[in-house]
Amino acid sequence: MNALTASAAIATGRVQLANVRQKSLVTAKIRALWVLVLFVFATLTAMVRLGQLGLFEQTPERTSMAEALLPARGEITDRNGVALARAFPSYSLWFNPKALGEGGAPLVKTPEEVAKALLSIFPDADYNDLVTRLKAGKPSYLRRRVLPEEANKVFALGEPALEFPRENQRYYPQGSLAAHVLGYVDEEGQGHVGMEQVLEKRLLDPAQRGTPIALSLDARAQGALEDELGRGMLDSNAKGAAGVILDVDSGEIIALASLPSFNPNRSDLAYNGLVFNRVSNQVYELGSVMKPITIAAAIDAGVVNDMAKRYPATPLNIGGFTIHDSHNFGGSLNVPEALIHSSNIVTAQVADKLGGPALRRTMMALGMNERPTIELPARGFPLFPRGTDKQGDWARITTMTVSYGHGMAVTPLHLAAAYAALVNGGIWRPATLYKVDPAHVPTGRRVFTASASARMRQLLRMIVVDGTGKKADASGFRVGGKTGSAEKPGSGGYRKTSLIATFAAAFPMDKPRYVVVAMLDEPQGTQATSGQRTAAWNAAPVVGRVVPRIGPMLGVVPDGSRDIDISDLSPLVGNGDGE
Amino acid sequence: MIVTANRLRSIGWVALLALCAALVMILAFRVNALRSQVHRAELRIVALKQEKMYLETEFETRANQQQLKAWNDVEFGYVAPTAGQYLENERQLAAWSKPSELDAPTPIRVASADDSVIAQAAFPAMASPISGKAVADEKPAGGPDEPAAKVLDHAAATAALGERLGTVGHVEKPKVAQKDKSGDKVADKSSAAKPAKPKEAKSTPKQAKAEKPAAAKTKSASASKPAKPAAKGTKLAANETKRKESQGK
Repeated sequence: MNALTASAAIATGRVQLANVRQKSLVTAKIRALWVLVLFVFATLTAMVRLGQLGLFEQTPERTSMAEALLPARGEITDRNGVALARAFPSYSLWFNPKALGEGGAPLVKTPEEVAKALLSIFPDADYNDLVTRLKAGKPSYLRRRVLPEEANKVFALGEPALEFPRENQRYYPQGSLAAHVLGYVDEEGQGHVGMEQVLEKRLLDPAQRGTPIALSLDARAQGALEDELGRGMLDSNAKGAAGVILDVDSGEIIALASLPSFNPNRSDLAYNGLVFNRVSNQVYELGSVMKPITIAAAIDAGVVNDMAKRYPATPLNIGGFTIHDSHNFGGSLNVPEALIHSSNIVTAQVADKLGGPALRRTMMALGMNERPTIELPARGFPLFPRGTDKQGDWARITTMTVSYGHGMAVTPLHLAAAYAALVNGGIWRPATLYKVDPAHVPTGRRVFTASASARMRQLLRMIVVDGTGKKADASGFRVGGKTGSAEKPGSGGYRKTSLIATFAAAFPMDKPRYVVVAMLDEPQGTQATSGQRTAAWNAAPVVGRVVPRIGPMLGVVPDGSRDIDISDLSPLVGNGDGE
Repeated sequence: MIVTANRLRSIGWVALLALCAALVMILAFRVNALRSQVHRAELRIVALKQEKMYLETEFETRANQQQLKAWNDVEFGYVAPTAGQYLENERQLAAWSKPSELDAPTPIRVASADDSVIAQAAFPAMASPISGKAVADEKPAGGPDEPAAKVLDHAAATAALGERLGTVGHVEKPKVAQKDKSGDKVADKSSAAKPAKPKEAKSTPKQAKAEKPAAAKTKSASASKPAKPAAKGTKLAANETKRKESQGK
């Protein structure tokens, strides 16, 4: 029984064993199957992925080449394609106090040590400002624009908290050149002052910003003008200077300079008075440079039809107001002499004969009663005499003072546009900063007849050959122009020692191409100007030096064997000293 | 047998399908490989272009007008070229070959007479560096008083050129003989070809006074051959050059 039970027990044990074996076999098989399934799945996934990678596009956020090359802000170039302003990804120095983790000191060294090290890399930085920023523990810009080599030096300091994000910034390779035309872009990417403000939309439009905008400026002429104006300003110890070069036939502004200038690359420093544009925004009583306009109007009106006719040159008393000349030029002067010596008295008499309405019409036709035509946002409103009666006609004395450039304040740009009309055959065209296609030059409006313009070319050339503009006579360039030295109005009338010295010129006079206007604000008599403060000694030499520098570049070749014929007028002029 | 053939055919179809699929796969893989190559090339182009822009900007910054001026002041001292450094044409060059006499006046061509017509006919017009067009073309016709675009009158131009040659000869003494000789020579040459022409050339000073009718006459006379006067104009210049060359030898 016992044996039976024992054998039965063994048998059951065997059966159980066989069952266990069966079970574990099944489990093993299932597990193996699972592993197989997993392997197959992985292989399939890999294959599918492989096929997907091989057959379909692999990078979802793929940008096209054109998109990658599209600048963040459009480029501005001069007329020859020289970049004046471009978008430029540059490094900036960013302080990130959390770079070393939350809590604990943000810097490895002390803020003072780091500030000192930064000061040795950026000598113009402010030590105290750096220390306060580093101590404050707030993320901030330590510097906006950093050169790669400077960035390397900062990196060598071993401070993880000093980071160099690459940011799109506005860069002006020419520095302060044409700063007033270009303007600047602030930290928020907003354009200010010049064409950056005017063209804001166009520069940011993705469809248009890929193509650079060509301005009418010529960087070389601009450089020469700024340079010589700066020199003239230093020579005469003047407060400021302004200059403009204008194409007489198209109205394109080849150069426009207002000194002292600013550096648009440092937009953080641009919030000051230097952004003020003296050429388009400041109005001045420009003085004698207006006389040729009066004379041209008088020639057109038939008032001056005999150049030999002499006018008395003794001080003129009109209603209690006496018109003087700077010197006594003798008993009488004819018109060429009056211009050469810059006689207020004779010009006033001519204007008196011409009459206020005619002179006013001419001035208005030259745009002297409205803001100058230019794209810049800063345009000064002229002080145009309002007149006494309903039609706005001027009083007799107003006509007379306006004739020699007083009692009316305009910008140097007004003057340049008027001179262009004076010499180009009589057609006034709006000044523009955009490059003009020669086939689409604006028609303009006729202000002077072609014959009056031809006569004025002769007279302006005579002023430079024999008169006050001698120092502007660049040899071979046939310069013609007129000086103007106007006293600035002060609290108690005109101030004798504060002058606006202007020289408005055009060259070459036998076929005028460009008008050059140079103006100095409050020049002083210095050794360099022979102790004189009038335009003949400071503004005229500026033009005399600018013209030879820009002429050949602008296609005007100096030629000693060409000139405008003044043989019919030169016998009329005696010798004497002018203003 | 039939079954085997059927099976064989279906196996063949499957094989063909597999082969096509494999080929398509290969093609697709190659296309995509090429595509990513292009993409990489584009990335490289972008990187290089940006690099170029950096370098250009750096160059422009280092060579900006103010910097160049500063260098010129310190280092080079270049000045703008003067009138004496330019020669407008062969005639000016030839003028250097003979010294002028002591009391000879300086030859100045004044701009009182409109010589644009002559300039156009005899010499190529001065091209503007800005537009690349002739300077005269740049000036637009303005308001109502502005004369309409001048019609090129070759006959008048040639006549006026003759006049100018005469004028220059008078002004500068040592060149009188030379210029007159040249005039004769030109006349001789042209007379060999066309006997009627030298008269025109000689009568130019008078013609210039009554330019319009004379011009009209010449025009009507040479109506059948409108190209001739112009050809003569260029011939004049060409002869002049030839003469100078032979003189130089």
